[in-house]
Amino acid sequence: MNSRLEKSGWLGVSNSSVWLLGAALVVLLVLPLLIPVFWMRIATETLMWAVVALSWNLIGGYTGYLNFGHAAFFGVGAYAVGILMTRVGIPFVLALPLSGVIGGVFAVLLGLPTLRVRGAYFAIATWAFAEAMRQIALLAEGLTGGGEGLRFPALSDNRPFYYAMLGLFVLTLIGLHFFLRRSKYGYWLVAVRENEDVAKAMGIDVFRAKLIVFAISGVIAAMAGGIYGYWITIINPNEVFKILISDNAVVMSLFGGLGTFWGPVVGALIVHVGGRLVWLSWGSDTLYIVVLGAAVVLVALFIPDGILGALERRRSGNAYKQDVNK
Amino acid sequence: MNLFLQSSIDGLLIGGVLIVLSLGMSLAFGVMRIVDFAVGEWLMLGAFTAFFLNSNLHIDPLLTTPIVFVVFALVGFFLQPLIEHVSSGKRAHANLMGLVLTFGISQVIRGSSLGLFGKDNHSLSSALTDFTWFFGPLVVPGARVVTFACGLLLTLGFLFFLYRTPLGLRVRMVSQDKASASLLGVDSSRINSLVYALHVGLTAVAGVFIGLLFTFSPEIGARYALYTFFVVVLGGMGYLPGAIVAALVLGLVQSYVTAFLDSRYISLASFIILYLVLVISPKGILRRGLV
Repeated sequence: MNSRLEKSGWLGVSNSSVWLLGAALVVLLVLPLLIPVFWMRIATETLMWAVVALSWNLIGGYTGYLNFGHAAFFGVGAYAVGILMTRVGIPFVLALPLSGVIGGVFAVLLGLPTLRVRGAYFAIATWAFAEAMRQIALLAEGLTGGGEGLRFPALSDNRPFYYAMLGLFVLTLIGLHFFLRRSKYGYWLVAVRENEDVAKAMGIDVFRAKLIVFAISGVIAAMAGGIYGYWITIINPNEVFKILISDNAVVMSLFGGLGTFWGPVVGALIVHVGGRLVWLSWGSDTLYIVVLGAAVVLVALFIPDGILGALERRRSGNAYKQDVNK
Repeated sequence: MNLFLQSSIDGLLIGGVLIVLSLGMSLAFGVMRIVDFAVGEWLMLGAFTAFFLNSNLHIDPLLTTPIVFVVFALVGFFLQPLIEHVSSGKRAHANLMGLVLTFGISQVIRGSSLGLFGKDNHSLSSALTDFTWFFGPLVVPGARVVTFACGLLLTLGFLFFLYRTPLGLRVRMVSQDKASASLLGVDSSRINSLVYALHVGLTAVAGVFIGLLFTFSPEIGARYALYTFFVVVLGGMGYLPGAIVAALVLGLVQSYVTAFLDSRYISLASFIILYLVLVISPKGILRRGLV
């Protein structure tokens, strides 16, 4: 399927890549000691977006089911952690994995009817779901604090959150590596995306593959939301369920390359840091929406396989190629 | 009982406008197999176009509808080849890019409208709808009657075009079987452009009607896109009679939720119904849509 998969090395990663990844991890670990607080904030956000985009890409890029309501899982995670910590009194380290479980359950419930039919229904249903969750959070005031927001116990130090995001980021990458490249599901997914009918004929349980992937996607996004909620200390339904979160996940994955392993990370880095610079220069959220939308249009028109896909195409010098293990 | 009757009438009258909103979308999906994520933004722009024609040139909002239709049909006609281009078979992720492109377009429109028009609410009022009917305890505002009647006329005209004209026949041929239609000499890309033009034009006109009934701002796009999707899924994607029934159902649901619960529950109630329909019958309530 892919020549690199057979290469020797550590757990299917070539030796040179292991050195590269190790060096990158060391840099990320010492980063908080080197940069000012403002940039550490942006670094934490970038890691968060990378995780959110990676989780989006899992269902959107690998199966072709576009989730336009990814914010729903992010918000559910933030509220799950908040409610568990403040109303139930569970410590953060326990509340976070629980929020992942809750996000996964929501994904399964949403996926059961929608992943059986064509992707257009899924795109619509997920979008409507995020809107419905926002409204529930606004209306269930007793549990969520409604429009007033939910307040977490404040933690003045920013560093734990950076390391929590970094931990989630690294765990997500390792998990995805094993899931996509070392388990049968990785191959199932490529088969489903390339041709769902043929995959079915080969005996692949297409629906189960999609449902599992969607559940994992929900788990990861919910945990990113959980850390985010504790970090910003006060969450509001209009903030953690906002459309812009789904938009960002879509754009970052698209930008980097749908269905590529590193695409969402590259996309998150470029789009988020670029977006912050736009914001710093012009200070306008409205302009950010326009720039984001224009970026999506340009990607759809000129590089439908994203930056990584286009680079790969240039290197191999041929037409569009879809390959899961870039 | 009076409240029930009153909200039933309100719901059905609004349903007539929602039909206009979803006919084009349903046809576009049936023919092009593409969900237009920018549908709510066409509606919003339609309302704003009528607003500016009214405030600058003093044309009655209701009389701007032919202008709005022509302008937005042209926009759709020239935009469609782009959508066709990104979803053509030779490119990567061709099946996703139509959705992605219209999503990007919707963001550009929403963001620039927020920048240009601000976040304030606007409304349209027409001299032609300045009356109210009373039937005993029931009140029927003129704006609702007139927009319902216009919606009904447009729907009939649309159905006449589709089922009684040679061009409509060709549209239905492409919708049923693109390859065979091409073999019989139908230029399917031309038909696609026409269908998308009709869809954008009708949606913008529906926007003018919505503007006459409710307040609007650049941020209403997402809400009405959800309503449109609701109608199209509930009716069965690509199945027009289903869309008509579903639009009336949504009008009634909104009206009952507002009357007996709280208008804040509308999106939630819509989603729950949407979810149940997808669980029980993904082909829509009449079981005739594309799955």
